[in-house]
Amino acid sequence: MSRPPSIVRRLTASLAWVGGLGALLLLIVIGIEYRISFSNLGDHDAFARAIHELSEHVLLPMAVLILPMALAGRWAIKSGVRPLIDAAAQIDARAGETRGVRVDTTDFPIEARAFADAINRVLGRIDGAAALHEAFAADIAHELRTPLTLLSLELDRLEHPDAGRMRGDVARMRRLIDQLMLLAQIDADHAAQIAPTPVDLGDVAGDVIAQLAPIALDRGMRLALEADAPVMVIGRREAIGAALRNLIENALRASPAGGCVTVRTGAGGMLAVRDEGPGLSAQQLATLTQRHRRADHASRDGAGLGLAIVERIMRAHGGTLETSVTARELRLQFPPAASSD
Amino acid sequence: MARVLIIEDNERLAGLIADGLGAQGHVCDAVHTLAAAEDALAGTLFDGIVLDLGLPDGDGVDWMRAQHGPRPPILVLTARDALEDRIRGLDAGADDYLPKPFAMSELAARLRALLRRPGGRQDAVLALGNLAFDPASQRVTVAGTTLELTRREAALIELLLRRAGQVVRRAVIENSLYTFDEAVTPNAVEATISRLRRKLEEAGAALELHTIRGVGYMARARGA
Repeated sequence: MSRPPSIVRRLTASLAWVGGLGALLLLIVIGIEYRISFSNLGDHDAFARAIHELSEHVLLPMAVLILPMALAGRWAIKSGVRPLIDAAAQIDARAGETRGVRVDTTDFPIEARAFADAINRVLGRIDGAAALHEAFAADIAHELRTPLTLLSLELDRLEHPDAGRMRGDVARMRRLIDQLMLLAQIDADHAAQIAPTPVDLGDVAGDVIAQLAPIALDRGMRLALEADAPVMVIGRREAIGAALRNLIENALRASPAGGCVTVRTGAGGMLAVRDEGPGLSAQQLATLTQRHRRADHASRDGAGLGLAIVERIMRAHGGTLETSVTARELRLQFPPAASSD
Repeated sequence: MARVLIIEDNERLAGLIADGLGAQGHVCDAVHTLAAAEDALAGTLFDGIVLDLGLPDGDGVDWMRAQHGPRPPILVLTARDALEDRIRGLDAGADDYLPKPFAMSELAARLRALLRRPGGRQDAVLALGNLAFDPASQRVTVAGTTLELTRREAALIELLLRRAGQVVRRAVIENSLYTFDEAVTPNAVEATISRLRRKLEEAGAALELHTIRGVGYMARARGA
């Protein structure tokens, strides 16, 4: 295994060579100046004088120069490379972010600037391509809406027995479009770095449940909220609402008819949705949240996409989506707000 | 019934909406530009407006912002549905917001709720199923027979009827019933609802009062 090249090792090796060559050159110079030849080194006096000359003019200057040079060199390299190591740590710390990441070159040595700038230009191009991709997805979703509205309204006027099934298909397409737009929106918010604000999870839950309760009642199900004290987190209200909406819709699908889906808030920035279905194992949850990455949209109603979106929203908030099989709950865990009032 | 102005540039869509609302008993005028909308509003008194945001001669949000003085309630339709657009629309004075695509029943329900808001020209009798409520006299009739209600019960049913089919948050109810009592506890609201429920059931009202635990209450026609 070959070790990657190291500047410090290379400097040490160079200094050793310079030292060796310098010593040899000095020996020759001294030899010529004092006409010392190998033949009369046998003479005891001459030998002692030669040693004296050598240590005074060769070894001493070498030691005086080479050692501080080696130390200074090491220090210069270490401190010169320090901003690069710091920058790497900073980039690693932003592992959750996929957009807008740049190498901060303010403290970079001039020698490393060109490289870092080139990397930043590539990152900029990737961001641009991703933004274009998202805008394209949003455009498609947008363009689909008006024809889909026409289709839906025309279907409303049909009395044919198949019309109901087709209305269901339109509803599924609509849901998929909504989710596509939501995904694009999360990334756009993230890119625009819209400032998060304090949000009361109980209040958001109340709004979402109020919106979904008529739909739940239509399916013979009930929704309930258990929120006693306000639970504040720092985030984007609309995005948190969208995440919860996805979880509740999921729970409504998983619960038997006549069941109840309960949303509760918990201290420390927790929002949980409990249903009367079989619960979801950590393994199943992981599979469902990975769905969109494998471009697997096989689920008929976009349920998998829904959980993937929830996971994305939570990641953007620095939180997590967790499951508890025993409690039959899916939990949104936010990082607790700095101050609870 | 109500006269509604539809501002939507897709002529087929405008026609379908006009037909659908017409079937609900509304009189609709459809225009396809903001300029035509100005002309229509100058000549006729409308009870409500259905507005599409992206119009060929301007942006619906800017147009709403430019409206001064009293105007009919506006229900905004949009194909954008970006969260920010929604907030922008409501800030600019839209009274409600419906993303495309929507079902006719959805649009009709939202519009009905808008027209029922107090202060509108449509401040007439509120009806749901076989129940009717006259806001002026605070009188409730079920299938033509008057129902004896306390002032507080009448206020509560008015609140729920004005948003029939939608959940009314508990805090909204507590705030608007505040004038009748010094402190309105959640239990007091629940007790009033129970009494109302019993009275409605005894009178044979085709109306249900649903409790959404922890959130609020909703009135719906039975079987709806």
